[in-house]
Amino acid sequence: MRIVRGELALALLFVALGGLWIARAATMPLWDGFAPASGFMPLWYGILLVALAGMIGATNIVVHHAAKPEEPIGKPLIVLAALAAAIVGVPLVGFALSIFLLMLVLFVAVERLPLLRSMLVAAAASAVLYLVFRTWLGVPLPVGPLGI
Amino acid sequence: MELLAQLAQGFAAAATPANLLMCLLGVALGQLIGVLPGIGPSAAIALLLPLTYGASPTGAIIMFAGIYYGAQYGGTLTSVLINVPGESSSVMTALDGYQMALQGRGGVALGIAAIGSFVAGTLGTLGLMLLAPPLSKIALAFGPPEYCALVLLGLTALAAVGGSVLKGLATGVAGLLLGTIGIDPQVGVPRFDFGQSWLLDGVDFIILAVALFGVGEVLASCRMAAANPILNVGRVLPNREEWRQARMAILRGSGIGFVIGVLPAAGATIASFIAYIAEKKLAKDPARLGKGAIEGVAGPESANNAASAGAMVPMFALGVPGSNTTAVMLAALIMFGMRPGPDMFTTNAKLVWAVIASMFIGNLILLAMNLPLAGLFARLLRIRYSWIYPPILAICVTGVISRANNIEDAWLMLGLGVLGWLMKRYDWSMAPMILGLVLGPIFENALRQSFTLSHGSPAIFVTRPIAAVLLACALVAVTVPLWSRFFRVKTV
Repeated sequence: MRIVRGELALALLFVALGGLWIARAATMPLWDGFAPASGFMPLWYGILLVALAGMIGATNIVVHHAAKPEEPIGKPLIVLAALAAAIVGVPLVGFALSIFLLMLVLFVAVERLPLLRSMLVAAAASAVLYLVFRTWLGVPLPVGPLGI
Repeated sequence: MELLAQLAQGFAAAATPANLLMCLLGVALGQLIGVLPGIGPSAAIALLLPLTYGASPTGAIIMFAGIYYGAQYGGTLTSVLINVPGESSSVMTALDGYQMALQGRGGVALGIAAIGSFVAGTLGTLGLMLLAPPLSKIALAFGPPEYCALVLLGLTALAAVGGSVLKGLATGVAGLLLGTIGIDPQVGVPRFDFGQSWLLDGVDFIILAVALFGVGEVLASCRMAAANPILNVGRVLPNREEWRQARMAILRGSGIGFVIGVLPAAGATIASFIAYIAEKKLAKDPARLGKGAIEGVAGPESANNAASAGAMVPMFALGVPGSNTTAVMLAALIMFGMRPGPDMFTTNAKLVWAVIASMFIGNLILLAMNLPLAGLFARLLRIRYSWIYPPILAICVTGVISRANNIEDAWLMLGLGVLGWLMKRYDWSMAPMILGLVLGPIFENALRQSFTLSHGSPAIFVTRPIAAVLLACALVAVTVPLWSRFFRVKTV
């Protein structure tokens, strides 16, 4: 029997978000003439979120849960880091190269898939996305030193 | 008889080779647009608008209508296969559709979506044909207090059908809260932008949906990526038992979708949410929903297609757009020198009836395209997840950046993706958060307009019968599950 710490942290995150909204909304006008002004709804949303997330957090502490091992988070964090690196890379090396490298790293370094096949799949997927979004739909996706 | 004669004339106009080609092009483009996150049917029609200068107005509007209802089905493919809704109206499909795919029933999920979309699209078009004038009058009876109450009902009912009412309500409120970021639409002042100019446009639905359902799902599932893939793709056509479970859901979804679609500014997203809630409420065993129940796919999928036909009612009958897409189509009609409004059915009868007839044809084309292709698409599930999730992340990044060519949106997606991962890990429902974000601005505007109408008196919400009934339903939706839970605890 124990507290699920991750869920408690999630509830506290929502409480903090609600608190931030309350603090900001309190500085805005709340009522204007007959109708609510800019701060009214955000203030109530903040109050509601603090109350609801607070109740979930409190329930988590009061009601004891059956001991269940938390799933390991190592691999998701590596995937997350690769995604963050790809986003950093988009303005630096261009959209196409950045998402190609994201897929290649995940295929080869994280999933240990064969290099040649990984390169082919990553190149094909990047090319399709580039052709559809940039060439066909004309979306001005960031380009890098290679012009793609 | 006059109606049938007009419809026959419409079919004659829609069945010309040029218009048939426009219809085929429209539904095919719509499907592709629906698959791609970041670009919706309204954006696609807006992009194609300049290309139709000088073209036949009938052909152009037939193509645009095809894009609209084709996109509703396209979003289903990604919802079922990779749990990334291509459109906001496909969010609810992902809940049961993806679970069906994991159980080796991806083919059936896509098959029932195609059948449901066809039935709903056809019934919706019939509704458009027969009920446009009277339904437009009902839609006009929906004022700000009714919209306010409708949004509250949608949010509370959806929160109540999740695993935990409290968690559902909390995520719904969090969505409403995120919806306040950006320029206040009423007074034009920035709110909660934290000094970041890229937040002035607010948090777009697509960023939240891609983050929660795409990135969040990948982070939650990548641990098991090397596990054996789903080998059993399965049938495409539902068996007798599945058909029995889905047929009423299709009819209910068609009705709900059409009626919600008629309401200006409601649209396919709200229709699919309400259809899902209805299925959960009416199910003999509500616990099945969210775990691969076929009704959870059939209801919302039928609703979003019927809603796209319903949204044409106010467009043609009143000149009022029922959704973003019909707003762009309305602009196209004006561009072609027409005046959308109550006399559209008389002054431009030929075009209106040709579009209506083309919708019957287009729905048939969609069914003919999708039933054989459903099995083909579902075969993607045979590929090991290790090969699938990196391209999913690439699609997520592309979709989000392409929305406004803004790298900050990608960072926001990353942050919200982590939130989605945690929410999935601890069983917090994600759908109410998306609904809250989509409906937040509508709710706030409607609330302000209601108070202005009533000179600051909240009595307006109980003195208007439609609003009062909707509010009572919202109250019941949230109190009954809490009360029954409390009662169960007391009696155990």
